[in-house]
Amino acid sequence: MNDTPVLKTALSISGASCQGCANKIRKALAPLTGNADLVEVDLEQQTVALPEGVDTAEAARIVADTGYPAEPCPGPEAVIDTVNHTSPAAAQTPAAAGSSSGDDAQVLAISGASCASCVNSIETALMAVPGVTHAYMNLADNTATVRGGTQPQALVRAVESAGYGARVIEDQDQADDDRQQEDKRQYRVLMVKMAVSLGLGVALMIWGMGFGSMTITDANQITWISLGILTLGVMIATGGQFYVSAWKAFRHHNANMDTLIALGTGTAWLYSMVVACVPEVLPEMARHVYFEASAMIIGLINLGQALELRAKGKTSEAVRRLLDLRARTARVIRDGEEQDLPVEQVLKGDHIRVRPGEKLPVDGVIIDGTTRIDESMLTGEPMPAGKGPGDEVSAGTLNTHGAIIYQATRVGSETALAHIIRLVKKAQGSKPEIGRLADRISAVFVPAVMLIAVASALIWYNIGPDPAVVHMMIAATTVLIIACPCALGLATPMSVMVGVGKAAEYGALIRQGDALQTAGKIDLVILDKTGTITEGRPVVTQVHALTGDQHQLLALAAGLEQHSEHPLAEAIVARARQDGIEPYRITGFEALNGKGVQGELDGQPVRIGNRRWLESQGLAVAPAEAAASAITADAGTPLFLAHGQDVLGVIGVADAIKTDSEAAIARLHAAGIRVMMLTGDIEATARAIAGRAGIDDYRAEVLPEDKADVVNDMRRKGHTVAMVGDGINDAPALAAADVGFAIGTGTDVAIESASITLMRGSLHGVPDAIEISRATIRNIHQNLFGAFIYNSLGIPVAAGLLYPVWGVLMSPILAGVAMSLSSVTVVTNANRLRLFKTSHKAPAMERCQ
Amino acid sequence: MTTFLVNAGGLALMAAIVWWFWLSRPGTKNSNPHP
Repeated sequence: MNDTPVLKTALSISGASCQGCANKIRKALAPLTGNADLVEVDLEQQTVALPEGVDTAEAARIVADTGYPAEPCPGPEAVIDTVNHTSPAAAQTPAAAGSSSGDDAQVLAISGASCASCVNSIETALMAVPGVTHAYMNLADNTATVRGGTQPQALVRAVESAGYGARVIEDQDQADDDRQQEDKRQYRVLMVKMAVSLGLGVALMIWGMGFGSMTITDANQITWISLGILTLGVMIATGGQFYVSAWKAFRHHNANMDTLIALGTGTAWLYSMVVACVPEVLPEMARHVYFEASAMIIGLINLGQALELRAKGKTSEAVRRLLDLRARTARVIRDGEEQDLPVEQVLKGDHIRVRPGEKLPVDGVIIDGTTRIDESMLTGEPMPAGKGPGDEVSAGTLNTHGAIIYQATRVGSETALAHIIRLVKKAQGSKPEIGRLADRISAVFVPAVMLIAVASALIWYNIGPDPAVVHMMIAATTVLIIACPCALGLATPMSVMVGVGKAAEYGALIRQGDALQTAGKIDLVILDKTGTITEGRPVVTQVHALTGDQHQLLALAAGLEQHSEHPLAEAIVARARQDGIEPYRITGFEALNGKGVQGELDGQPVRIGNRRWLESQGLAVAPAEAAASAITADAGTPLFLAHGQDVLGVIGVADAIKTDSEAAIARLHAAGIRVMMLTGDIEATARAIAGRAGIDDYRAEVLPEDKADVVNDMRRKGHTVAMVGDGINDAPALAAADVGFAIGTGTDVAIESASITLMRGSLHGVPDAIEISRATIRNIHQNLFGAFIYNSLGIPVAAGLLYPVWGVLMSPILAGVAMSLSSVTVVTNANRLRLFKTSHKAPAMERCQ
Repeated sequence: MTTFLVNAGGLALMAAIVWWFWLSRPGTKNSNPHP
């Protein structure tokens, strides 16, 4: 880290939307900076960071020439030390922590949006605000995320001028609570409106058909005029929101779902009122009223929206579950006194006591006591982890065993849990490429439907059977009602919300909707070896005692190695501790770099080291040769141990393959994905590990800086590449890959460079995320297909295409039912994803423990 | 005469829809430019 040059945000750019764009910019700037790796492109914030001293004006010109409008950042206030950004928690300023996304994004709560056309109108209005580089509206939770430097009030005004309501979300938690309350209230209001309008519609139908007549006669004309006025009152009272919204949209040259509802019900009512007031202007056959249709359509749409609201609430369950993990209070020790304080009042540096069975309120480091902490809620890891003084602990985890005192290091919105919640929300609010298809279509959809409605009305008028006026009115109304694109607007965001939440349940944090889509297409997974396939810390794999006494061998080795801080020494000491072996007391410790270590016991030297060093000391290592060969073949390092002039045995230390790596790789194979390993190890070790883990291909002796080249090479060959890594040196490769998976136990830099973070160390997170991604994209396809099919089939049928063949003309009421059903179907299908289970099941034993 | 009026009215309405929602719409920026 210390060698990393300080990068400063130098350019603000626009139009870079994928890793391909970022790579292009990096390559273009390489001649200026001397190295493409010294250029950091932040796709989220649309900025480019360059080393200090680089000519930003020249850099901006180069980037603009590459096809991305760019300009130097205006002043020192825009300069951000990107090195400090490497720690996601540390980088959170109080202001940023308040927003749901944790960066410069501003989040608005939107009201009045009901369909894909509304989404398009709002995004367009926000993008038109000067300074805005990115605007995205999520219909599933009615929020808009806006990036770019601008005043929040300007954004609110832009949304309001487009005909919708908006307010800036400052406190995300409060906003969530408010939204839940608002949703509940809204649900009740919609149900009451539904009961009133549907009640009137059904009553009119029963009365008209059973006791009176729906056709105007001299006898019932006054009654129907009165009922028409009553219907208008009910339409305004229960469906007023549609008319207001439609009018606001119309004034801004927009049309949305409400436009169609307003036009459809309005046409039916107006026609009926003309019939009721001046029946003589129409032929006798056409003197039929449709007041009940207007009332029932509004009732059905209200019912559909109420059901939709209820189902939407379920999709954000994943976030709610994460929020529920937070402890409400903390037992803080200040000035020697213990007091229960609300978690918001805990300060960094406070000492906190946690008893068995209690949740940890904030992040920190244990200073007293040992325990086992259940971290499954954050990492998905079923086994509680042993923790003692010096170990880090996270908010939201459960203390299962002993009482501990720990020091708070990160509080409030800085905790790992808060960061996870922000990541999940941000990803849930992002839109994959596929979702933009629906936007493009919906922008022209509603006006096109209006044209189709008028055209079909004219066709019915000119060539339809009598009564032509009635038929043209029914066709136009039905087309308008059935075409509402609400299902289209919900198709993508609902599935993304459920999919991202499901991935979080499996310990995979997806940072971008695009990653969710791309992960499903991966056909090559490149794995970093150390820390990804292997544990990343050496362990003793074999102990060969020539005397037959393994106990003595380990006691001697541990006695000597406990004075050393070398990873191999730590492995031997850990093994002795694990086996309950008391190390010998060895004096005169001395480490000989590149050779081994030595000390003294009972006046005789004790040595542990490599073969060459022991041989140079005149010791005969030949008796241990066979054991050493076995260790090498097993990808381990043999350490010879001698006491005096006797070689007592050999200990094999290796970075062990994680117990579940092989199974996870087998799952990738089963999904049709090739697996490649990158390692700096020599060929023989790489081959041994690849063979044991079931890896298809490997590259040995790869330098850290070459990893990204391998990834790019594979992408050029046409593969959709996922890179999985954990170290700082993996960051460029993670960023270069189509999808970067950072092992969450790894460094913050790796996590920031990756598009998916695996919260547990297991490789199973990769196939889990891929399976969830595939299921989510499949779900989106089903939703979009359903919505498109519904509209493509519904409109011609509503226009009367079946009439010449079967004499069938769809009623506007049936169109209202179908429209509501389509939204409910999409939402229900998205919720089906919540039941999805990946092919991995944790061994029964792990679960029992 | 009625037929003419209805057809002319319908066509005028269609022209008005095209003009209002497409031709006279204020200019917008592309939300996802990708050169």
